[in-house]
Amino acid sequence: MPAHTTAAIKLIPASHFTFEQLTAIYNQTRVDYMVPMPMNAARLAEYVATYDVKLDHSLVAATPGGEMLGVAMLGLRAGRAWLTRLGVIPNTRRNGVGQALVAGLMEQAAQLSIDFVMLEVIKHNTPAHQLFLKFGFREIGELLILRRPPRIPPLDPIVADAERLDRADALRLVGRGRGAQPWTNQSESLFNAYEVSGLHLTLADGSRGWLVYQRQKFILTRFAFKTEAGDPATVAYALLSHLHYQYPRLDTHTENIQINDPHLPAFYEMGYVESFRRIEMWHGIPPLNLS
Amino acid sequence: MTKILLIEDIPDNAELVRRALSATDYEIIHAADAETGLQMALAHRPDLILLDLGLPDYDGQTLAGWLREESTLNATAIVALTAWPEETARKMVESYGFDGYICKPITKVRKFVSQINSFLKIHK
Repeated sequence: MPAHTTAAIKLIPASHFTFEQLTAIYNQTRVDYMVPMPMNAARLAEYVATYDVKLDHSLVAATPGGEMLGVAMLGLRAGRAWLTRLGVIPNTRRNGVGQALVAGLMEQAAQLSIDFVMLEVIKHNTPAHQLFLKFGFREIGELLILRRPPRIPPLDPIVADAERLDRADALRLVGRGRGAQPWTNQSESLFNAYEVSGLHLTLADGSRGWLVYQRQKFILTRFAFKTEAGDPATVAYALLSHLHYQYPRLDTHTENIQINDPHLPAFYEMGYVESFRRIEMWHGIPPLNLS
Repeated sequence: MTKILLIEDIPDNAELVRRALSATDYEIIHAADAETGLQMALAHRPDLILLDLGLPDYDGQTLAGWLREESTLNATAIVALTAWPEETARKMVESYGFDGYICKPITKVRKFVSQINSFLKIHK
């Protein structure tokens, strides 16, 4: 494979490609990943819609001759951008393609006067991590990707005053002061998602909190939660006991929970296992509306 | 004839498995995504399912959960094919009801065939 100089790398807006074409390029970039996370066109379309990815500001790298080299996408929300799905096709790596894509996306953000950019990189993906450090990104913390199989028998739900929340009521809660969240867990992601509902619990001792989630055909995912009063781990345990009692046959996939999240012990007690970790990285000063 | 259902989305990887098992008498059938894999499993009731954990529609863990819900597949061994670190692979395999796992990439054909044979024997 000939080396590609930066001048020989053409950056094309991703909006010039169909979802099928983008999926094919993206999947090729991941074939040798430890956690490949391939997608089909429908999943990519859902990803783009849920996470406010703007394909006209996202980029595909190719040679002038049309050979595909890689892809990178840009999410845009008020005052902030998100760099995601960066990947370079294995046999074209180490030729500046990743660097050209990141530089291209940073330029896209700058042109929109956005100087705060977020991203997550899989822990131990050293080349990507180094690349982001080189661009001035700084580490914010580690994020956990957790799974809970449906095979665990459901416990009786913890006794509490439980209120099921429909979509409208659930979404009213998610915007309320959860602190800085990774892009995937920000309020907008849930606003954009379908089949969102929630649960509000008040325990006998007055502890209370809520959990908002997306129920897909076979999985529960996209959790947002908050303890309004009491011990977060206790409240989370109660919330999860109700959730899994209600949906005993669904697999659960929750991602990007901050490693210092005080609700975390409840997840482990409830049978969640760690799948892998990501490192969250930021570039610039976060806007005040980051929640 | 012993039947193996391979659920793997990457054509090169699927071909590698086919070639590795070509010297055996096993019949290999193939699905490239989870939904097709579930349908084929129910239709063919294979002796062993070799399941890639990274699939484009639903991942291998979710699919293993569905498969384990099917009583008609109680006699089927489900083996994960994964590049995950051993510790993570072990945790996932135990949690999701797999019978075991085989690490990718497959570099030693004889070892791979021997692993498949062991899973088939253990499950019978």
